[in-house]
Amino acid sequence: MSEPKAPDSDRVLIIPCSGIGKAFGSVGREAAYLVVEELRPDDTATVCLSLLTMGDEESQQRVREQPSIAIDGCPKACARVNIEHAGAAPAAIFRVFDVFRAHKELRVQQVSDIGENGREMARILAEEVAARVDELRDRKE
Amino acid sequence: MPDLPEKKVGLIACSGEDLPVGTVSRLATLQVLERLRPLDTVTLCLPLFLAGEERERAFARFYPTIAIDGCSKRCAARATEKYSAQPAASLVIDDLIAEKSLPEPRGLRQLDDAGQAVVQAVAQELAREVDRLLGKKRTASGQVEIQAPSSEGEPAGIVVATCSCGSGIPVTHLQVSGHHVEALALPAILDQFRKIGKPANEATASELMEAVKLYNQVPDHEEAGWREAVLREYTRYVASGKPADTAN
Repeated sequence: MSEPKAPDSDRVLIIPCSGIGKAFGSVGREAAYLVVEELRPDDTATVCLSLLTMGDEESQQRVREQPSIAIDGCPKACARVNIEHAGAAPAAIFRVFDVFRAHKELRVQQVSDIGENGREMARILAEEVAARVDELRDRKE
Repeated sequence: MPDLPEKKVGLIACSGEDLPVGTVSRLATLQVLERLRPLDTVTLCLPLFLAGEERERAFARFYPTIAIDGCSKRCAARATEKYSAQPAASLVIDDLIAEKSLPEPRGLRQLDDAGQAVVQAVAQELAREVDRLLGKKRTASGQVEIQAPSSEGEPAGIVVATCSCGSGIPVTHLQVSGHHVEALALPAILDQFRKIGKPANEATASELMEAVKLYNQVPDHEEAGWREAVLREYTRYVASGKPADTAN
């Protein structure tokens, strides 16, 4: 029998930066979707970061009440900063650059097509994020 | 003209992670940046309006900007207006889908075929809007028929989109008639004038103001105050021999 789904209000929020002009931004977004759609679909969800930027009350309330994980593609750390600006503290912060530092063979060039290297980097990152999700869920139970 | 970022059209996409139309906004914007109008467009990550610095918030004041939103919440348009300046144009993908009877996109990470079709439609619409804002007319084959004198030809191959974060629209703070204003591009203008040996006097002040008004909206009733402040800044700059003060 499969594990029961977490209620929406109990899920870990995976929030990547928008990163539209940097390949690492696309890697972070891909990693977030891997977690939310494939690796931990029953325990995670995402919110539009732009809604947080705009101060959307419902989105801000979700990040204040639910654990969140920020995934940032560049040192500007938009995901982390926007979560903090909403009055919350991310439960974990991941930086795509850290994955690259550990796997320098995975060079990614293009924003719109991260290629095999980018997908591999996203997979590695997504597995790290999923492990952190499990820790957060275990701690809660 | 000072050596500044070229006058291009800014594209701000909502990139909405939680909606298929958010992915459409991102992919269509990237297509314009990388393939359709690479020499004419620049972008900035929307959340940087909050997380970034003044030079990021100067984006829409410097570049005429198109906001590309997935849904009726219009985060891109509202964030641009709230943090930077009124967008020059705005496009809401849900509206475009309704207007053109396009299929409803599905998928976040991977858009379905309908989503890809909407990406193409939005990208074409955006490219047309970029041309309109830059005053370019194209032939049916996509070649530029009429263009602004400073425009270049299109590049061969694919250009990789890059974010304008930190790339620097320099901002200087001035006191104009007792209140605080931000002057875009002033350091580069002052530097250029000093390099060509312009003296700090009234005649130069007129020339400085011509350059300043290319990059800043100076209300008529404030022009005298701006002129005085800009000349004061230039006088100080010439005397110091140091780089001009910026907000960064």
